[in-house]
Amino acid sequence: MIKADVQLDAKGLACPMPIVKTKKAMNGLEDGQVLEVIATDKGSKADLAAWAKTVGHQYIGTQEENDVLYHYIRKCDPGKSDAVENQFERTISNEEIVGRTGIILDVREAAEFAFGHIEGAKSMPMGELEARMKELDMDQEIYVICRTGTRSDMAAQQLADAGFTKVYNVLPGMTAWNGELTKNI
Amino acid sequence: MSNKVAIIASNGGLFDAYKVFNIATAAAASEKEVAIFFTFEGLNLIHKQAMQALPMPEGKEFMAEGFAKANVPNIPQLVEMALELGVKFIGCQMTMDVMGLTTADFVDGIEVGGAVTFLEFAKDAAPSLTF
Repeated sequence: MIKADVQLDAKGLACPMPIVKTKKAMNGLEDGQVLEVIATDKGSKADLAAWAKTVGHQYIGTQEENDVLYHYIRKCDPGKSDAVENQFERTISNEEIVGRTGIILDVREAAEFAFGHIEGAKSMPMGELEARMKELDMDQEIYVICRTGTRSDMAAQQLADAGFTKVYNVLPGMTAWNGELTKNI
Repeated sequence: MSNKVAIIASNGGLFDAYKVFNIATAAAASEKEVAIFFTFEGLNLIHKQAMQALPMPEGKEFMAEGFAKANVPNIPQLVEMALELGVKFIGCQMTMDVMGLTTADFVDGIEVGGAVTFLEFAKDAAPSLTF
């Protein structure tokens, strides 16, 4: 199972109900949280992707299991996510991290990671970073990556504040990743 | 990009109702500003009694089973949902006068207006749809 913050059961509902329910459920999520929509309407796959695009949320992907569709959408506050300037000074490009020693730390949500990440990357969603950073080796280079460089910027700063010295923010991030993607679905 | 969707509902059958309200609720759920202008038989779609039992097109009665099986919401449910999502219902004054109807005959929350009321809303709407 892919981890999501909120689940919505829309099984058995026909168009346009999955969309209407998704819209209502989304109102209850915090910015950056992931909603899992469970539906049996075959049209919901194309519809939810289009809906997310229209209203500005991030459609992560859909997994199908025994005729049931599991959709994952991450709430994005339009105008908020892209408005923040990156602060962390030590940056590195997508291309430069290929084949380098050290670890790639992917701070996106578990669902985003599951639908495509760089082979060998370690998943540690932003919200879990503080509690889990002790799993990381301080002597290793750490390349922090997310979708667009905003969350990884904050995560890199958080690691630096905790005493990690070999930390880099990877830019522009997974949206511009041209290499192979590994999936856990 | 326009954030408005303008719909004219001018037919009064069950299929017409689904076309109108499915598009309207989907658009409203996508954060569009939606207005439907109900004119002529289209007024049946929001008439308190008529909307409870809208007719299937002749010869298509066998599809009733399909509607039940697909778990499609009924028309009064869709109407309620559309209103809840903020879809604006405009009843055509002229048709109402011709048919001897008043706002009391329709679901709560409708506005009444003439062609210009709709045109004013629709002038910068995209898409504009007619059913």
